[in-house]
Amino acid sequence: MPTLQLAAITQANRPAQLPLLSKLADILATSLSVTHLMVRGSLAHGTADRLSDVDFVVGVHDAQLPAFVEALDTLMPVEAGALLPGWRDTIVADLGGVGMVFLVPDEGKLHQIDLYVAPASRIPRLQAMVSTAVLLDRRSGPVAASDIAAAESFVAAFAARPRSCTELLIEHLVLAVLLHKRIRRGQRFVAYSEWHRLHTATKDLIKTALAPASRYWGWYQLREEIAVTPIGRACLGDLDAAIGGPAVPEAADVTEAIERVLALTERACPQALDGLRDAVAAYRTYQELV
Amino acid sequence: MDSTLIALAGQIAQLDAVDSAHLERMRHEALTAQAPWKAEYGAYQSGGWWTTSLMNASGDAADVTIGDCAAKPTDLLGRMPATAAFLADLGLNFMGVRLARLEGNAFLWEHRDYDELHQVERHRLHVPLHTNTSAFLVTGGTKVHMAGGRIWRLTPTYAHGVCNLLGPDRIHLIADVYADGAYRHLARRPALSPTVAEPLPVADQTVLAERLESARNMATLGYTEAAERMLLRLFYTYALPEGTAYDLIAELHTSLGDMEAATRWETAKRRLLALPA
Repeated sequence: MPTLQLAAITQANRPAQLPLLSKLADILATSLSVTHLMVRGSLAHGTADRLSDVDFVVGVHDAQLPAFVEALDTLMPVEAGALLPGWRDTIVADLGGVGMVFLVPDEGKLHQIDLYVAPASRIPRLQAMVSTAVLLDRRSGPVAASDIAAAESFVAAFAARPRSCTELLIEHLVLAVLLHKRIRRGQRFVAYSEWHRLHTATKDLIKTALAPASRYWGWYQLREEIAVTPIGRACLGDLDAAIGGPAVPEAADVTEAIERVLALTERACPQALDGLRDAVAAYRTYQELV
Repeated sequence: MDSTLIALAGQIAQLDAVDSAHLERMRHEALTAQAPWKAEYGAYQSGGWWTTSLMNASGDAADVTIGDCAAKPTDLLGRMPATAAFLADLGLNFMGVRLARLEGNAFLWEHRDYDELHQVERHRLHVPLHTNTSAFLVTGGTKVHMAGGRIWRLTPTYAHGVCNLLGPDRIHLIADVYADGAYRHLARRPALSPTVAEPLPVADQTVLAERLESARNMATLGYTEAAERMLLRLFYTYALPEGTAYDLIAELHTSLGDMEAATRWETAKRRLLALPA
Protein backbone atom coordinates (compact mmCIF):
# COMPACT_ATOMS: atom_id res chain seq x y z
CA MET A 1 0.00 0.00 0.00
CA PRO A 2 1.61 3.32 -1.02
CA THR A 3 1.87 6.17 1.46
CA LEU A 4 -0.71 8.80 0.60
CA GLN A 5 -0.01 12.47 1.26
CA LEU A 6 -3.17 13.25 3.20
CA ALA A 7 -1.53 16.08 5.14
CA ALA A 8 -2.51 18.62 2.48
CA ILE A 9 -6.16 17.79 3.10
CA THR A 10 -6.00 17.59 6.88
CA GLN A 11 -4.05 20.85 7.17
CA ALA A 12 -6.67 22.72 5.14
CA ASN A 13 -9.39 21.49 7.48
CA ARG A 14 -10.48 18.19 8.94
CA PRO A 15 -13.50 17.34 6.86
CA ALA A 16 -16.11 14.86 8.00
CA GLN A 17 -15.49 13.00 4.75
CA LEU A 18 -11.84 12.34 5.60
CA PRO A 19 -12.28 8.67 6.62
CA LEU A 20 -14.25 7.98 3.44
CA LEU A 21 -11.77 9.92 1.32
CA SER A 22 -8.89 8.02 2.89
CA LYS A 23 -10.61 4.66 2.34
CA LEU A 24 -11.34 5.44 -1.31
CA ALA A 25 -7.81 6.72 -1.89
CA ASP A 26 -6.41 3.48 -0.47
CA ILE A 27 -8.68 1.47 -2.75
CA LEU A 28 -7.72 3.38 -5.88
CA ALA A 29 -4.01 3.58 -5.12
CA THR A 30 -3.75 -0.20 -4.72
CA SER A 31 -3.29 -0.48 -8.47
CA LEU A 32 0.13 0.33 -9.83
CA SER A 33 -1.69 1.49 -12.97
CA VAL A 34 -2.63 4.56 -10.96
CA THR A 35 0.12 7.13 -11.43
CA HIS A 36 -1.54 10.09 -9.74
CA LEU A 37 -4.23 10.57 -7.17
CA MET A 38 -5.46 14.08 -6.50
CA VAL A 39 -8.36 15.70 -4.73
CA ARG A 40 -9.98 18.80 -6.10
CA GLY A 41 -12.92 20.98 -5.18
CA SER A 42 -13.80 22.11 -1.70
CA LEU A 43 -11.95 19.27 0.03
CA ALA A 44 -8.73 20.40 -1.62
CA HIS A 45 -9.36 24.06 -0.81
CA GLY A 46 -10.33 23.63 2.81
CA THR A 47 -13.88 24.86 2.26
CA ALA A 48 -15.70 21.55 2.52
CA ASP A 49 -18.87 21.16 4.52
CA ARG A 50 -20.59 17.93 5.56
CA LEU A 51 -22.46 17.83 2.23
CA SER A 52 -19.38 18.22 0.03
CA ASP A 53 -18.72 15.57 -2.55
CA VAL A 54 -15.42 13.71 -2.70
CA ASP A 55 -13.82 14.73 -5.96
CA PHE A 56 -10.83 12.70 -7.15
CA VAL A 57 -8.63 13.04 -10.21
CA VAL A 58 -7.05 9.70 -11.00
CA GLY A 59 -4.10 9.51 -13.36
CA VAL A 60 -3.75 6.11 -15.01
CA HIS A 61 -1.05 4.77 -17.30
CA ASP A 62 -2.29 5.50 -20.81
CA ALA A 63 -2.05 1.88 -21.88
CA GLN A 64 -4.18 0.70 -18.95
CA LEU A 65 -6.83 3.41 -19.09
CA PRO A 66 -9.51 1.34 -20.89
CA ALA A 67 -9.10 -1.66 -18.55
CA PHE A 68 -9.10 0.63 -15.51
CA VAL A 69 -12.28 2.47 -16.49
CA GLU A 70 -14.04 -0.79 -17.35
CA ALA A 71 -13.02 -2.22 -13.95
CA LEU A 72 -14.52 0.69 -12.00
CA ASP A 73 -18.08 -0.63 -12.16
CA THR A 74 -16.87 -3.78 -10.40
CA LEU A 75 -14.31 -2.17 -8.12
CA MET A 76 -16.55 0.52 -6.68
CA PRO A 77 -19.44 -1.73 -5.56
CA VAL A 78 -17.14 -4.49 -4.31
CA GLU A 79 -14.60 -2.36 -2.46
CA ALA A 80 -16.48 0.85 -1.67
CA GLY A 81 -20.09 -0.37 -1.55
CA ALA A 82 -21.30 1.91 -4.37
CA LEU A 83 -25.07 1.57 -4.75
CA LEU A 84 -25.30 1.88 -8.51
CA PRO A 85 -23.10 1.59 -11.57
CA GLY A 86 -21.16 4.80 -12.17
CA TRP A 87 -22.91 7.65 -13.93
CA ARG A 88 -20.98 8.96 -16.90
CA ASP A 89 -20.54 12.55 -15.79
CA THR A 90 -21.83 14.92 -18.47
CA ILE A 91 -21.38 18.02 -16.31
CA VAL A 92 -17.66 17.83 -15.66
CA ALA A 93 -15.32 19.90 -17.86
CA ASP A 94 -13.41 18.04 -20.55
CA LEU A 95 -9.83 17.69 -19.33
CA GLY A 96 -8.86 14.81 -21.57
CA GLY A 97 -10.27 12.02 -19.44
CA VAL A 98 -13.59 10.52 -18.42
CA GLY A 99 -15.77 11.47 -15.46
CA MET A 100 -17.73 8.96 -13.40
CA VAL A 101 -19.97 9.63 -10.42
CA PHE A 102 -20.74 6.97 -7.80
CA LEU A 103 -23.10 7.10 -4.84
CA VAL A 104 -21.48 5.49 -1.81
CA PRO A 105 -23.18 5.03 1.58
CA ASP A 106 -21.08 5.97 4.57
CA GLU A 107 -22.22 6.50 8.15
CA GLY A 108 -25.82 6.09 7.06
CA LYS A 109 -25.70 8.79 4.37
CA LEU A 110 -25.19 8.73 0.63
CA HIS A 111 -22.05 10.47 -0.58
CA GLN A 112 -21.34 11.61 -4.09
CA ILE A 113 -17.96 10.37 -5.28
CA ASP A 114 -16.61 12.01 -8.43
CA LEU A 115 -13.81 10.20 -10.21
CA TYR A 116 -12.16 11.99 -13.09
CA VAL A 117 -9.93 9.38 -14.70
CA ALA A 118 -7.31 10.81 -17.02
CA PRO A 119 -4.43 9.28 -18.93
CA ALA A 120 -1.09 9.91 -17.20
CA SER A 121 0.13 11.79 -20.26
CA ARG A 122 -2.59 14.42 -19.68
CA ILE A 123 -1.93 14.99 -16.00
CA PRO A 124 0.68 17.80 -16.33
CA ARG A 125 -1.72 19.83 -18.50
CA LEU A 126 -4.62 19.04 -16.19
CA GLN A 127 -2.64 20.17 -13.14
CA ALA A 128 -1.85 23.44 -14.90
CA MET A 129 -5.58 24.07 -15.39
CA VAL A 130 -7.13 22.75 -12.17
CA SER A 131 -6.17 23.34 -8.56
CA THR A 132 -5.66 20.03 -6.77
CA ALA A 133 -4.18 18.55 -3.64
CA VAL A 134 -1.85 15.72 -4.59
CA LEU A 135 -2.21 12.52 -2.57
CA LEU A 136 -0.03 10.32 -4.76
CA ASP A 137 2.45 10.99 -7.53
CA ARG A 138 4.00 7.88 -9.09
CA ARG A 139 4.77 9.38 -12.47
CA SER A 140 6.96 7.24 -14.64
CA GLY A 141 8.96 7.84 -17.79
CA PRO A 142 7.78 8.97 -21.22
CA VAL A 143 4.61 7.41 -22.59
CA ALA A 144 4.67 5.74 -26.00
CA ALA A 145 2.81 7.66 -28.70
CA SER A 146 0.75 4.58 -29.49
CA ASP A 147 -0.42 4.35 -25.86
CA ILE A 148 -1.38 8.03 -25.89
CA ALA A 149 -3.35 7.54 -29.09
CA ALA A 150 -5.10 4.46 -27.70
CA ALA A 151 -6.09 6.33 -24.53
CA GLU A 152 -7.38 9.32 -26.54
CA SER A 153 -9.35 7.01 -28.78
CA PHE A 154 -10.90 5.29 -25.75
CA VAL A 155 -11.86 8.61 -24.14
CA ALA A 156 -13.51 9.81 -27.36
CA ALA A 157 -15.43 6.55 -27.79
CA PHE A 158 -16.48 6.56 -24.13
CA ALA A 159 -17.94 10.05 -24.44
CA ALA A 160 -19.68 9.29 -27.73
CA ARG A 161 -21.37 6.08 -26.59
CA PRO A 162 -25.16 6.54 -26.57
CA ARG A 163 -26.67 6.48 -23.11
CA SER A 164 -28.92 3.57 -22.23
CA CYS A 165 -32.19 3.87 -20.30
CA THR A 166 -30.39 2.45 -17.25
CA GLU A 167 -27.71 5.13 -17.47
CA LEU A 168 -30.34 7.84 -17.83
CA LEU A 169 -32.24 6.53 -14.82
CA ILE A 170 -29.01 6.57 -12.80
CA GLU A 171 -28.41 10.13 -14.03
CA HIS A 172 -31.72 11.14 -12.44
CA LEU A 173 -30.78 9.50 -9.14
CA VAL A 174 -27.39 11.20 -9.06
CA LEU A 175 -28.78 14.60 -10.04
CA ALA A 176 -31.37 14.32 -7.29
CA VAL A 177 -28.59 13.84 -4.72
CA LEU A 178 -26.88 16.95 -6.12
CA LEU A 179 -30.11 18.90 -6.04
CA HIS A 180 -30.88 18.05 -2.42
CA LYS A 181 -27.42 19.34 -1.57
CA ARG A 182 -27.96 22.60 -3.51
CA ILE A 183 -31.31 23.14 -1.82
CA ARG A 184 -29.89 22.60 1.66
CA ARG A 185 -27.09 25.05 0.91
CA GLY A 186 -29.41 27.62 -0.66
CA GLN A 187 -27.51 27.49 -3.99
CA ARG A 188 -30.47 28.60 -6.09
CA PHE A 189 -28.66 29.28 -9.35
CA VAL A 190 -26.88 25.92 -9.39
CA ALA A 191 -30.12 24.23 -8.35
CA TYR A 192 -31.87 25.87 -11.31
CA SER A 193 -29.18 24.53 -13.66
CA GLU A 194 -29.26 20.98 -12.29
CA TRP A 195 -33.08 20.96 -12.19
CA HIS A 196 -33.07 21.74 -15.91
CA ARG A 197 -30.55 18.93 -16.46
CA LEU A 198 -32.86 16.58 -14.61
CA HIS A 199 -35.77 17.50 -16.89
CA THR A 200 -33.51 17.08 -19.90
CA ALA A 201 -32.54 13.63 -18.63
CA THR A 202 -36.25 12.79 -18.35
CA LYS A 203 -36.76 13.87 -21.95
CA ASP A 204 -33.72 11.81 -23.02
CA LEU A 205 -35.02 8.78 -21.12
CA ILE A 206 -38.38 9.02 -22.88
CA LYS A 207 -36.74 9.39 -26.28
CA THR A 208 -34.27 6.55 -25.67
CA ALA A 209 -37.11 4.25 -24.58
CA LEU A 210 -39.80 5.22 -27.08
CA ALA A 211 -38.04 6.88 -30.01
CA PRO A 212 -34.57 5.33 -30.09
CA ALA A 213 -34.13 6.10 -33.79
CA SER A 214 -35.36 9.68 -33.51
CA ARG A 215 -34.27 11.95 -36.34
CA TYR A 216 -35.02 15.09 -34.35
CA TRP A 217 -32.67 17.02 -32.15
CA GLY A 218 -33.26 17.78 -28.51
CA TRP A 219 -36.77 18.80 -27.55
CA TYR A 220 -38.13 19.05 -31.11
CA GLN A 221 -41.06 17.00 -32.44
CA LEU A 222 -41.68 15.14 -29.20
CA ARG A 223 -45.45 15.10 -29.65
CA GLU A 224 -45.24 13.97 -33.26
CA GLU A 225 -42.86 11.13 -32.47
CA ILE A 226 -43.96 9.99 -29.04
CA ALA A 227 -47.54 11.04 -28.27
CA VAL A 228 -48.89 8.48 -30.71
CA THR A 229 -49.58 5.68 -28.23
CA PRO A 230 -51.06 5.57 -24.73
CA ILE A 231 -47.61 4.93 -23.23
CA GLY A 232 -46.13 7.79 -25.21
CA ARG A 233 -48.88 10.18 -24.16
CA ALA A 234 -48.53 9.16 -20.52
CA CYS A 235 -44.77 9.73 -20.62
CA LEU A 236 -45.12 13.13 -22.26
CA GLY A 237 -47.73 13.92 -19.62
CA ASP A 238 -45.05 13.20 -17.01
CA LEU A 239 -42.59 15.44 -18.82
CA ASP A 240 -45.19 18.18 -19.04
CA ALA A 241 -45.79 17.89 -15.29
CA ALA A 242 -42.04 18.06 -14.69
CA ILE A 243 -41.44 21.24 -16.67
CA GLY A 244 -44.60 22.83 -15.27
CA GLY A 245 -43.10 22.91 -11.78
CA PRO A 246 -41.11 25.71 -10.17
CA ALA A 247 -37.93 26.95 -11.84
CA VAL A 248 -35.99 26.37 -8.63
CA PRO A 249 -37.17 23.27 -6.80
CA GLU A 250 -37.85 22.54 -3.17
CA ALA A 251 -36.79 19.17 -1.76
CA ALA A 252 -40.32 17.81 -2.16
CA ASP A 253 -40.28 18.72 -5.87
CA VAL A 254 -37.10 16.69 -6.36
CA THR A 255 -38.54 13.73 -4.50
CA GLU A 256 -41.71 13.93 -6.59
CA ALA A 257 -39.65 14.09 -9.79
CA ILE A 258 -37.72 10.94 -8.87
CA GLU A 259 -40.89 9.01 -8.06
CA ARG A 260 -42.38 10.21 -11.36
CA VAL A 261 -39.32 9.05 -13.29
CA LEU A 262 -39.30 5.66 -11.57
CA ALA A 263 -42.96 5.19 -12.54
CA LEU A 264 -42.18 6.36 -16.07
CA THR A 265 -39.31 3.85 -16.26
CA GLU A 266 -41.60 1.02 -15.12
CA ARG A 267 -44.04 2.02 -17.85
CA ALA A 268 -41.72 2.69 -20.77
CA CYS A 269 -38.55 0.66 -20.19
CA PRO A 270 -38.88 -1.66 -17.16
CA GLN A 271 -35.74 -3.53 -18.22
CA ALA A 272 -33.77 -0.47 -17.13
CA LEU A 273 -34.63 -1.42 -13.54
CA ASP A 274 -33.33 -4.99 -13.90
CA GLY A 275 -30.78 -5.57 -11.19
CA LEU A 276 -31.40 -2.10 -9.73
CA ARG A 277 -34.54 -2.63 -7.66
CA ASP A 278 -32.70 -3.29 -4.39
CA ALA A 279 -30.40 -0.36 -5.17
CA VAL A 280 -33.40 1.92 -5.71
CA ALA A 281 -34.91 0.70 -2.42
CA ALA A 282 -31.62 1.42 -0.65
CA TYR A 283 -31.40 4.81 -2.37
CA ARG A 284 -34.84 5.72 -1.05
CA THR A 285 -33.82 4.67 2.45
CA TYR A 286 -30.58 6.65 2.44
CA GLN A 287 -32.36 9.66 0.97
CA GLU A 288 -35.00 9.23 3.63
CA LEU A 289 -37.74 8.95 1.03
CA VAL A 290 -39.32 6.10 2.98
CA MET B 1 -45.70 -26.28 -0.32
CA ASP B 2 -43.93 -27.46 -3.48
CA SER B 3 -41.00 -29.86 -3.26
CA THR B 4 -38.36 -27.10 -3.53
CA LEU B 5 -39.92 -25.20 -0.66
CA ILE B 6 -40.28 -28.37 1.43
CA ALA B 7 -36.59 -29.13 0.91
CA LEU B 8 -35.67 -25.53 1.68
CA ALA B 9 -37.86 -25.48 4.78
CA GLY B 10 -35.51 -28.09 6.27
CA GLN B 11 -32.79 -25.46 6.05
CA ILE B 12 -34.66 -22.28 6.82
CA ALA B 13 -38.18 -21.90 8.14
CA GLN B 14 -40.54 -19.33 9.58
CA LEU B 15 -41.87 -20.13 13.04
CA ASP B 16 -44.16 -18.02 15.24
CA ALA B 17 -44.99 -14.37 14.59
CA VAL B 18 -43.61 -11.69 16.91
CA ASP B 19 -45.95 -9.05 18.29
CA SER B 20 -45.30 -5.98 16.15
CA ALA B 21 -45.39 -3.43 18.99
CA HIS B 22 -42.98 -5.53 21.06
CA LEU B 23 -40.75 -5.97 18.02
CA GLU B 24 -40.55 -2.18 17.60
CA ARG B 25 -39.43 -1.82 21.21
CA MET B 26 -36.76 -4.49 20.71
CA ARG B 27 -35.67 -2.74 17.53
CA HIS B 28 -35.34 0.55 19.38
CA GLU B 29 -33.24 -1.15 22.05
CA ALA B 30 -30.97 -2.79 19.49
CA LEU B 31 -30.44 0.45 17.58
CA THR B 32 -29.74 2.58 20.63
CA ALA B 33 -28.03 0.29 23.17
CA GLN B 34 -24.37 1.08 23.94
CA ALA B 35 -23.20 -2.40 23.00
CA PRO B 36 -19.61 -3.68 22.81
CA TRP B 37 -19.76 -4.87 19.19
CA LYS B 38 -17.02 -7.39 18.38
CA ALA B 39 -15.71 -8.76 15.11
CA GLU B 40 -15.31 -12.51 15.54
CA TYR B 41 -14.97 -15.44 13.16
CA GLY B 42 -12.92 -13.24 10.82
CA ALA B 43 -12.19 -15.99 8.31
CA TYR B 44 -15.89 -16.34 7.61
CA GLN B 45 -16.58 -12.73 6.75
CA SER B 46 -15.69 -9.77 4.56
CA GLY B 47 -15.51 -7.41 7.50
CA GLY B 48 -18.62 -5.61 8.68
CA TRP B 49 -20.07 -8.52 10.73
CA TRP B 50 -20.32 -7.51 14.37
CA THR B 51 -21.83 -9.34 17.30
CA THR B 52 -22.47 -8.64 20.95
CA SER B 53 -23.73 -11.14 23.51
CA LEU B 54 -27.01 -10.99 25.36
CA MET B 55 -26.68 -14.44 26.95
CA ASN B 56 -23.56 -16.58 27.16
CA ALA B 57 -21.38 -18.63 29.49
CA SER B 58 -19.49 -15.72 31.01
CA GLY B 59 -22.19 -13.08 31.28
CA ASP B 60 -19.83 -10.68 29.49
CA ALA B 61 -21.41 -8.96 26.46
CA ALA B 62 -18.00 -8.59 24.82
CA ASP B 63 -17.46 -12.38 24.88
CA VAL B 64 -18.95 -13.48 21.55
CA THR B 65 -17.49 -16.97 21.13
CA ILE B 66 -20.18 -19.62 20.82
CA GLY B 67 -19.91 -22.76 22.93
CA ASP B 68 -21.99 -25.29 24.84
CA CYS B 69 -23.14 -23.85 28.14
CA ALA B 70 -26.12 -22.93 30.29
CA ALA B 71 -26.24 -19.33 29.12
CA LYS B 72 -26.75 -16.50 31.59
CA PRO B 73 -27.77 -12.92 30.82
CA THR B 74 -25.10 -10.34 30.16
CA ASP B 75 -25.12 -6.84 31.59
CA LEU B 76 -26.18 -5.60 28.14
CA LEU B 77 -29.38 -7.66 28.26
CA GLY B 78 -30.04 -6.08 31.63
CA ARG B 79 -30.29 -2.74 29.83
CA MET B 80 -32.70 -4.11 27.21
CA PRO B 81 -35.91 -4.91 29.10
CA ALA B 82 -38.14 -5.53 26.09
CA THR B 83 -35.64 -7.98 24.63
CA ALA B 84 -35.15 -9.70 27.98
CA ALA B 85 -38.91 -10.10 28.34
CA PHE B 86 -39.20 -11.53 24.84
CA LEU B 87 -36.49 -14.12 25.54
CA ALA B 88 -38.01 -15.04 28.89
CA ASP B 89 -41.42 -15.55 27.30
CA LEU B 90 -39.96 -18.01 24.82
CA GLY B 91 -38.96 -20.27 27.72
CA LEU B 92 -36.20 -21.90 25.70
CA ASN B 93 -32.98 -23.56 26.86
CA PHE B 94 -30.45 -21.08 25.51
CA MET B 95 -26.90 -21.98 24.56
CA GLY B 96 -26.28 -18.36 23.62
CA VAL B 97 -28.06 -15.24 22.42
CA ARG B 98 -26.44 -12.47 20.40
CA LEU B 99 -27.23 -9.35 18.52
CA ALA B 100 -25.60 -9.54 15.10
CA ARG B 101 -25.05 -6.45 12.99
CA LEU B 102 -24.18 -6.81 9.32
CA GLU B 103 -23.14 -3.56 7.68
CA GLY B 104 -23.92 -2.65 4.10
CA ASN B 105 -21.57 -4.29 1.56
CA ALA B 106 -20.71 -6.94 4.13
CA PHE B 107 -20.80 -10.70 3.70
CA LEU B 108 -20.60 -13.90 5.64
CA TRP B 109 -19.03 -16.08 2.98
CA GLU B 110 -20.38 -19.51 2.08
CA HIS B 111 -19.80 -21.74 5.10
CA ARG B 112 -21.14 -24.36 7.49
CA ASP B 113 -21.58 -23.83 11.22
CA TYR B 114 -21.52 -26.10 14.27
CA ASP B 115 -18.68 -28.11 12.75
CA GLU B 116 -17.24 -28.65 16.20
CA LEU B 117 -20.59 -29.14 17.94
CA HIS B 118 -22.29 -32.29 16.71
CA GLN B 119 -23.15 -34.21 19.85
CA VAL B 120 -26.32 -32.45 20.97
CA GLU B 121 -29.38 -31.39 18.99
CA ARG B 122 -29.48 -27.64 18.78
CA HIS B 123 -31.04 -25.00 16.56
CA ARG B 124 -30.40 -21.43 15.55
CA LEU B 125 -33.22 -18.92 15.70
CA HIS B 126 -33.16 -15.50 14.08
CA VAL B 127 -35.40 -12.56 14.91
CA PRO B 128 -34.85 -9.80 12.33
CA LEU B 129 -34.97 -6.45 14.10
CA HIS B 130 -33.74 -4.07 11.42
CA THR B 131 -33.35 -5.14 7.83
CA ASN B 132 -33.62 -4.21 4.16
CA THR B 133 -34.38 -6.02 0.93
CA SER B 134 -30.73 -6.28 -0.12
CA ALA B 135 -29.95 -8.30 3.01
CA PHE B 136 -30.53 -11.98 2.45
CA LEU B 137 -29.36 -15.48 3.11
CA VAL B 138 -28.46 -17.94 0.39
CA THR B 139 -28.79 -21.64 0.93
CA GLY B 140 -29.36 -24.39 -1.57
CA GLY B 141 -29.14 -21.92 -4.46
CA THR B 142 -32.10 -19.96 -3.13
CA LYS B 143 -32.13 -16.42 -1.83
CA VAL B 144 -34.21 -15.86 1.29
CA HIS B 145 -34.84 -12.39 2.65
CA MET B 146 -35.55 -12.87 6.33
CA ALA B 147 -38.27 -10.28 6.69
CA GLY B 148 -39.20 -8.83 10.04
CA GLY B 149 -42.20 -9.98 12.06
CA ARG B 150 -41.41 -13.65 12.65
CA ILE B 151 -38.98 -15.97 14.36
CA TRP B 152 -36.91 -17.81 11.79
CA ARG B 153 -35.10 -21.11 12.19
CA LEU B 154 -31.86 -21.69 10.34
CA THR B 155 -30.21 -25.09 10.21
CA PRO B 156 -26.62 -23.94 9.85
CA THR B 157 -25.07 -27.32 9.14
CA TYR B 158 -26.06 -26.72 5.52
CA ALA B 159 -23.70 -24.57 3.46
CA HIS B 160 -25.02 -21.03 3.51
CA GLY B 161 -23.94 -17.43 3.29
CA VAL B 162 -25.40 -14.11 4.29
CA CYS B 163 -25.04 -10.69 2.77
CA ASN B 164 -26.16 -7.13 3.14
CA LEU B 165 -25.39 -5.81 -0.31
CA LEU B 166 -26.40 -2.18 -0.04
CA GLY B 167 -27.30 -1.43 3.53
CA PRO B 168 -28.32 0.16 5.81
CA ASP B 169 -27.18 -2.12 8.65
CA ARG B 170 -29.07 -5.36 9.23
CA ILE B 171 -29.52 -6.30 12.89
CA HIS B 172 -30.78 -9.72 13.96
CA LEU B 173 -31.29 -11.26 17.36
CA ILE B 174 -29.72 -14.71 17.08
CA ALA B 175 -30.43 -17.41 19.64
CA ASP B 176 -28.75 -20.82 19.69
CA VAL B 177 -31.04 -23.14 21.59
CA TYR B 178 -31.02 -26.76 22.72
CA ALA B 179 -33.91 -28.90 21.58
CA ASP B 180 -36.45 -29.42 24.35
CA GLY B 181 -40.21 -29.32 24.81
CA ALA B 182 -40.38 -25.52 24.56
CA TYR B 183 -38.39 -25.59 21.34
CA ARG B 184 -40.53 -28.36 19.86
CA HIS B 185 -43.65 -26.34 20.67
CA LEU B 186 -42.17 -23.25 19.00
CA ALA B 187 -41.16 -25.31 15.98
CA ARG B 188 -44.42 -27.24 15.72
CA ARG B 189 -45.47 -25.63 12.44
CA PRO B 190 -42.40 -24.64 10.38
CA ALA B 191 -43.36 -22.88 7.19
CA LEU B 192 -41.75 -21.02 4.36
CA SER B 193 -43.78 -18.54 2.39
CA PRO B 194 -43.07 -18.73 -1.35
CA THR B 195 -42.85 -14.95 -1.35
CA VAL B 196 -39.64 -14.91 0.70
CA ALA B 197 -37.72 -17.55 -1.27
CA GLU B 198 -36.33 -16.67 -4.67
CA PRO B 199 -34.35 -19.26 -6.63
CA LEU B 200 -31.14 -17.78 -7.98
CA PRO B 201 -30.38 -18.24 -11.68
CA VAL B 202 -28.01 -21.04 -12.59
CA ALA B 203 -24.69 -19.75 -13.89
CA ASP B 204 -23.59 -21.56 -17.04
CA GLN B 205 -19.95 -22.09 -17.91
CA THR B 206 -19.95 -19.05 -20.21
CA VAL B 207 -21.01 -16.75 -17.39
CA LEU B 208 -18.45 -18.20 -15.00
CA ALA B 209 -15.69 -17.93 -17.62
CA GLU B 210 -16.63 -14.31 -18.25
CA ARG B 211 -16.57 -13.52 -14.53
CA LEU B 212 -13.24 -15.28 -14.13
CA GLU B 213 -11.82 -13.24 -17.00
CA SER B 214 -13.10 -10.05 -15.40
CA ALA B 215 -11.45 -11.08 -12.12
CA ARG B 216 -8.22 -11.78 -13.96
CA ASN B 217 -8.31 -8.30 -15.50
CA MET B 218 -8.82 -6.75 -12.07
CA ALA B 219 -5.98 -8.77 -10.60
CA THR B 220 -3.76 -7.71 -13.49
CA LEU B 221 -4.50 -4.09 -12.61
CA GLY B 222 -3.39 -4.88 -9.05
CA TYR B 223 -6.85 -5.29 -7.52
CA THR B 224 -6.32 -8.91 -6.53
CA GLU B 225 -8.31 -8.84 -3.30
CA ALA B 226 -11.18 -7.06 -5.05
CA ALA B 227 -11.08 -9.78 -7.70
CA GLU B 228 -11.32 -12.44 -4.98
CA ARG B 229 -14.25 -10.68 -3.35
CA MET B 230 -15.99 -10.27 -6.69
CA LEU B 231 -15.78 -14.05 -7.18
CA LEU B 232 -16.94 -14.76 -3.61
CA ARG B 233 -19.98 -12.57 -4.27
CA LEU B 234 -21.07 -14.85 -7.13
CA PHE B 235 -22.52 -17.14 -4.43
CA TYR B 236 -25.15 -14.43 -3.82
CA THR B 237 -25.96 -13.93 -7.50
CA TYR B 238 -26.09 -17.44 -8.94
CA ALA B 239 -27.07 -20.92 -7.82
CA LEU B 240 -23.65 -22.54 -7.74
CA PRO B 241 -22.54 -26.01 -6.77
CA GLU B 242 -21.09 -25.99 -3.26
CA GLY B 243 -17.67 -24.36 -3.04
CA THR B 244 -17.63 -23.06 -6.62
CA ALA B 245 -16.67 -19.52 -5.60
CA TYR B 246 -13.62 -20.85 -3.73
CA ASP B 247 -12.71 -23.05 -6.69
CA LEU B 248 -12.87 -20.05 -9.02
CA ILE B 249 -10.51 -18.06 -6.79
CA ALA B 250 -8.05 -20.95 -6.71
CA GLU B 251 -8.35 -21.12 -10.50
CA LEU B 252 -7.71 -17.37 -10.73
CA HIS B 253 -4.49 -17.66 -8.75
CA THR B 254 -3.41 -20.76 -10.64
CA SER B 255 -3.84 -18.89 -13.92
CA LEU B 256 -1.78 -16.02 -12.49
CA GLY B 257 0.94 -18.46 -11.43
CA ASP B 258 0.46 -17.90 -7.70
CA MET B 259 0.27 -21.49 -6.49
CA GLU B 260 0.66 -20.51 -2.83
CA ALA B 261 -2.49 -18.40 -3.02
CA ALA B 262 -4.32 -21.15 -4.90
CA THR B 263 -3.44 -23.64 -2.15
CA ARG B 264 -4.48 -21.15 0.53
CA TRP B 265 -7.95 -20.86 -0.99
CA GLU B 266 -8.30 -24.61 -1.43
CA THR B 267 -7.55 -24.92 2.29
CA ALA B 268 -9.99 -22.13 3.13
CA LYS B 269 -12.71 -23.92 1.19
CA ARG B 270 -12.22 -27.11 3.20
CA ARG B 271 -12.20 -25.24 6.49
CA LEU B 272 -15.21 -23.01 5.79
CA LEU B 273 -17.33 -25.78 4.37
CA ALA B 274 -16.15 -28.30 6.98
CA LEU B 275 -14.98 -30.71 4.29
CA PRO B 276 -12.63 -33.60 5.05
CA ALA B 277 -8.96 -32.81 4.32
